[in-house]
Amino acid sequence: MNLDLTAEEQAFRAEARDWLRSNLPTEPRPPEGQEMREFDLNWQRTLFDGGWAGINWPAEFGGRGLSDIQQMIWYEEFAKADPPFTLANSCTFVGNMHGGPTLIVNGTDEQKSEYLPQILKGEKAWCQGFSEPGAGSDLAGLSTKAEIDGDCLVVTGQKTWTSYAHVADLQELLVRTDPDAPKHKGITWVVCDMRTPGIEIREIQTMSHVTDFCEVFYDEVRIPLANVVGGLNNGWRTAMSTLSFERGTGFMADQVELASTVERLIEQAKVRTGPDGKRSAISDDEIRRRLAVARAEVAALRAMTIAGISRTARSGAPGPEGSMIRLFHGELHQRVYQLALDIIGPEALRLTPVDGEGVWTGPYLQSFAYTIGGGTTDIQRNIVGERVLGLPRA
Amino acid sequence: MDLLPTEEQSEIVSTVRTQLKRDFDLHTLAQSADFSDTAISPELWQRCAELGWFGLGLEETFGGVGYTVVEEALLFAELGAHATPGPFLSTVLATRLAATSGLTDLAARLLAGETHAALAEPDGDADAVIGNSVTGRFRITDLAGADVVLFLSGDGAALVDAATVAANSEPSIDVQVPLSAASVEATALCSSEGSELFDRASVLLASELAGIATATAEQSTEYAKDREQFGTPIGAFQAVKHRCADMAVRAEAATCAARYASLAVANGQPDAAFWTHAARTIAGDAAITNAQTNVQNHGGIGFTWEHTAHRFVTRAQVRSRTAGNRFSHLDELLEQSVPD
Repeated sequence: MNLDLTAEEQAFRAEARDWLRSNLPTEPRPPEGQEMREFDLNWQRTLFDGGWAGINWPAEFGGRGLSDIQQMIWYEEFAKADPPFTLANSCTFVGNMHGGPTLIVNGTDEQKSEYLPQILKGEKAWCQGFSEPGAGSDLAGLSTKAEIDGDCLVVTGQKTWTSYAHVADLQELLVRTDPDAPKHKGITWVVCDMRTPGIEIREIQTMSHVTDFCEVFYDEVRIPLANVVGGLNNGWRTAMSTLSFERGTGFMADQVELASTVERLIEQAKVRTGPDGKRSAISDDEIRRRLAVARAEVAALRAMTIAGISRTARSGAPGPEGSMIRLFHGELHQRVYQLALDIIGPEALRLTPVDGEGVWTGPYLQSFAYTIGGGTTDIQRNIVGERVLGLPRA
Repeated sequence: MDLLPTEEQSEIVSTVRTQLKRDFDLHTLAQSADFSDTAISPELWQRCAELGWFGLGLEETFGGVGYTVVEEALLFAELGAHATPGPFLSTVLATRLAATSGLTDLAARLLAGETHAALAEPDGDADAVIGNSVTGRFRITDLAGADVVLFLSGDGAALVDAATVAANSEPSIDVQVPLSAASVEATALCSSEGSELFDRASVLLASELAGIATATAEQSTEYAKDREQFGTPIGAFQAVKHRCADMAVRAEAATCAARYASLAVANGQPDAAFWTHAARTIAGDAAITNAQTNVQNHGGIGFTWEHTAHRFVTRAQVRSRTAGNRFSHLDELLEQSVPD
């Protein structure tokens, strides 16, 4: 056990800090549409040109081939640089955190050389086509069907809760290719071009007023068989490798960011009037203690993140323990923004965007996604119970 | 950066674990020990001394084993996990104070397990003084059989001859941590100013509390696999499974925070206090919540004296109120500047 950063890691931190100081956008992220897409992809291009894209991706696929610790350092420096946007709210997220890593592990050489550079350079935005109206927590129960016709899969069905589908170029799509096999064994993971005829996208407004949530309808959509990743009917395993990335380092940016959020909240509590209308918010005993608990919890989260990295470094791949961090983080994230509304007092009535400087109510409304997306907290608890602790399935 | 034990550290943990399993089985201890007196027998205490446990984190120049507070904290995590009774904390700290004060004979006797040390903290007395002279009202744990008493607060520490402390024993919520109260007016054998020993105590306690959180999570998980109702192991039910999952998460958070804190203290980092207070808070809450939930998970048997579940409950309550409490550590945490 040690907390030492190598000379290389220290230099990396200093380099990241310097670079961010002069390259971080100062304008707010546009809240929707093509402008938002351009902003996200521009930032990805800026990262790529600066040598900061794919920090922990292998060098042979255009990444920097650096360690997860360096990836964490990068996120820490990003959070400390007071950015006007959060890394998780981006149409580049799925490509960087799901699609890309899945292709690295399961893709063919052709697939890797086609898709990976596009993701890193900010040329293509990805979205995820996993959930369906009838298959949420029971993801393997999905029913969007795909039939083989010549050298294509013909897809008909519906996906939902697809963030950024309306601005995405590509989609990691799960379809049922064998309706007769047991449900986990008849699924295929395929790259879908969102411009293919037969795809209809409808935006869904969320409780946080964000409109990048979508449902996607497929009517005999033809996808080349060459786009299948990880083999026909092997999609569940391919999908699980995606999810283990997500539970490993996929949400690290969010976790790191939360520590900065708590510190900003402590500053707010010092300058804002508290519930008694006289003294500062931080003079209130309950608020002070909740802030201190939040501080302790984000510290624990950081330690858990480092322990997770240590575990992955030894075993070679993120294990189900990542669900513990995801679970802890999701609920903590919500508590922090619930506390924020108590600290900002009358401002709690005023709606703000999800992203930007000094926003609290938008992120509060958005925080409900943190215990639902990427597997609800109930599913995370099942994973911890069954795969980490070895408890029997129901 | 690495928060998993090295091979050498794992070796230490496994040796400690083996010893604790053999000599500190809770059921055996509960039947054999007479808790009106000392919590563990002098023979057993001697054996711990022979294994070098009291000097694990003490520098070799002081006669210690020469590891750091990091390895010492790993020992305390195991003590927590086995609900091990005995004045481990006061002995480790008293040895350090004696050694650094030049009382080498006393330090050597403590290390050898020949001299026993109790722990005293101010008992709701804000005017209590701990220095060259010690005055005030104190609560003392593990006093029976002790030769010296370590007085400890955030302002200082002092060692006092136990013969000069007249105390009344009181019923303890944790029968294996004997409790007394005393009005004290005594001259110290040695003393130190500042919070160094108190902070070290906090880190070790955070680790012990994390151990309690871990052991209770494991006990519940095992029971949920074995115990069958409605024709199936109760761990298959989400209500139970999810409680076990939450316990595992709390234990993980506590363990990781405690390890980080012990490393920050060992390195003498500027954020050592930040991490110590954070770890104490997280580990204290985890230990108490997990110990309580563990009783619930066991149902009727968990409520019995015979079962060991209650021992973790009372131990968590005692340890989370030693060297500060939840509220004092939270208040201190908010006073710290942010680590860079």
